[in-house]
Amino acid sequence: MVGKVILLAMRVALAWTFLHAGVLKIWDFAHARPATPDFVVAIQQYRILPSPDLAVLLAVYLPWVEIFAALGLLLRPVRLGAATIISALMTIFIIALSSAWMRGLRIECGCFGRDGAPTDYLALLLRDLCLLAAVVILLVRDWHARQPKDRMMFGDSGRFTLP
Amino acid sequence: MIRTFARQAALLLALALLPAIVSGVVQLRWNAAEPLAPGEVKAATVREWGAKVQWVDARPRDKFAAGHIEGALLLNEDEWTKLVPAFLDAWDPDHPIVVYCDGGNCEASHRVAQRIREELKIGNVHVLKGGLPTWSAK
Repeated sequence: MVGKVILLAMRVALAWTFLHAGVLKIWDFAHARPATPDFVVAIQQYRILPSPDLAVLLAVYLPWVEIFAALGLLLRPVRLGAATIISALMTIFIIALSSAWMRGLRIECGCFGRDGAPTDYLALLLRDLCLLAAVVILLVRDWHARQPKDRMMFGDSGRFTLP
Repeated sequence: MIRTFARQAALLLALALLPAIVSGVVQLRWNAAEPLAPGEVKAATVREWGAKVQWVDARPRDKFAAGHIEGALLLNEDEWTKLVPAFLDAWDPDHPIVVYCDGGNCEASHRVAQRIREELKIGNVHVLKGGLPTWSAK
């Protein structure tokens, strides 16, 4: 019971985090204006993409991926897919941050819109590793949750039988 | 099982595509329609002025060191007092000053331009709309 409550809390917290991150990359509430231009600049600061056009495409699409993946975490039919997307995103973010850190770039993360503060790489990487660990736990849990149905249908013999 | 992961992920990615396209178009139109603020100038206009422009970079020193418009002088809010003498030494009253920063919704260039007008009493000062990315994208 306690385990289920903890998992539910993790799921809701992760969903809220990514929903929040996605929305803030689309709209700058503090200044009542689109936040996409700031996100384009944030992506370009990492100096990973070969073309400015790719940065614009990513800045437009990525926030909506975050939003739909966040909502998907809360919907049973697409939980696995949502957790997969978020795991992939966190892995990419960790690699991008690590790359920027190794190259000595002084940038803004761009993770939750523009905050004007230079990136504290260590804190961000630790945070992202924790988020990745949490979503992997959910992924494994959701994957295992599908197993009992299979055992019911296939039985101990491994042959398909009607329930 | 991998097919289940992939199918669900593909569905979510596809669902995200439509609002992303709509949002992108809306935001592009918003930016294109946004009129120039007082003191702003477009990159196309500055190109017409040719080489007779004094560029001022309002970003932090490490960003300036990483890359800047050729001939730009660093003059940011953090090091204002230290950088003003060098700026004044290089300043030519016959050349308009164009201040830039990172683009997006960066406000540093506006603040530096304001200080140049008010504190240094220099009038021919402009801010590059869209910042460095618009100049680099030429």
